[in-house]
Amino acid sequence: MDSLVAAASVIAAALAVGLAAIGPGIGQGTCAGQAVEGIARQPEAEGKIRGTLLLSLAFMESLTIYGLVVSLVLLFANPFS
Amino acid sequence: MIHWTNLFIAEAGMFDFDATLPLMAIQFLALVFLLNKIFYKPLGKVLDERTEYVRQNGQDAKGRLEKATAIAAQYEQELVEVRRESQSIIAKAREEAQQVVTAVVQEAQQEIQQQREATSQEIETQKNQAFHTLEGDVDALSWQILEKLLGSELAR
Amino acid sequence: MEFFAGSKVYTFLPLASLEVGEHFYWNIGGLTVHGQVFMTSWFVIALLVIASLAATRNIQRVPSGIQNFMEFALEFVRELAKNQIGEKEYRPWVPFIGTLFLFIFVSNWSGALLPWKLIQIPSGELAAPTNDINTTVALALLTSLAYFFAGFRKRGLGYFAKYLEPTPILLPINILEDFTKPLSLSFRLFGNIVADELVVAVLVLLVPLFIPLPVMALGLFTSAIQALVFATLAAAYIHEALEGHGGEEHE
Repeated sequence: MDSLVAAASVIAAALAVGLAAIGPGIGQGTCAGQAVEGIARQPEAEGKIRGTLLLSLAFMESLTIYGLVVSLVLLFANPFS
Repeated sequence: MIHWTNLFIAEAGMFDFDATLPLMAIQFLALVFLLNKIFYKPLGKVLDERTEYVRQNGQDAKGRLEKATAIAAQYEQELVEVRRESQSIIAKAREEAQQVVTAVVQEAQQEIQQQREATSQEIETQKNQAFHTLEGDVDALSWQILEKLLGSELAR
Repeated sequence: MEFFAGSKVYTFLPLASLEVGEHFYWNIGGLTVHGQVFMTSWFVIALLVIASLAATRNIQRVPSGIQNFMEFALEFVRELAKNQIGEKEYRPWVPFIGTLFLFIFVSNWSGALLPWKLIQIPSGELAAPTNDINTTVALALLTSLAYFFAGFRKRGLGYFAKYLEPTPILLPINILEDFTKPLSLSFRLFGNIVADELVVAVLVLLVPLFIPLPVMALGLFTSAIQALVFATLAAAYIHEALEGHGGEEHE
């Protein structure tokens, strides 16, 4: 394999996960904050809020996972090698 | 050269699609049907039956409770009626007793009145009689006195 | 250490070897399949079948033991399907959604809990069935078929009118959605499971003892949530196909 392609692939893989983590990170922070606010305002709804929170966190998490999949492709199944 | 299909047909790597995919799908569908037969249907039936049983029992209990409430209400009503009746009986008895007492008292008063009247009448007649006798006596006495004073001839 | 050769084996310590993209190929009638995936999936299927047989062998009105547990599982998936699809139409979909959830859940947890790697196979290594992209794509495609089937059975060809809502301008996006749905479903599940496995493997590579335990616990949690998410999304897509008008957007 071309060493240039290898280097580019490794950098791209790192960037893919790193950049993909920014947005969901912010989103998850906001989401958790709002959930805590909701629980503080209405403690009896805690169970429902927690369930919804976990589900939405999983959805946001999957955005980072897409970035991870891209980086896995670059590292382990590189189409340009 | 490099092509994106390398990603999927490459004879290695993570993204290696082959006959595993359709076979896994068929296997999963078979699992769905199998589990439907041995898991979802029998246990679902049990769950539904239990829900039905609980509902029925709840309904029965509710019916019984209603009946009991109705009986209690009826009993309460009867109690009220009986109480009212007893109240009225007592009132009647009291009234009757009152009447009897009044009648007796009246009678006694009447009797007393009568006796009093009779007595006063008797007293009156006796008084009159006494006056009468006294009048005769007074005449005789006055005649005697006159005779004594004037003598018997003169006195005539 | 070779990075891009497709299949690779990192060996630092005898215990901590990390294999990615290695498969145990079987040839059945000219078809190539990944043997390790089928071996573990048969294990998972056997586990499910044995559990359901044990639960329904002696059914009683007052449940106890395994029957109680499986009834809990059934009520859980029923509740899931009911919440997403709605009281009226959820019943015929309970087997599909429930099996999706149970299969993925048991697969994920078997991958996280059982020491598959102690069993030697000629090449590759045993892992959760959902660790293979073929499995997750198969499940996602079945989900797509399921919601198409639901839409067609409910409304016939009128199902295609959904693509013109709310305006015909969105037609390409609506068509594109049918492709992104299975793509995101399968890659989400696959990515999460592989990520867990890789993180644990890399940590074991660095510190073989104790340090990976919290990450493993997190992996258990994540894999349970992913099973729930997959089943919930499948139910939500089916509901959308049944209802027509857009529905809530999950991506």
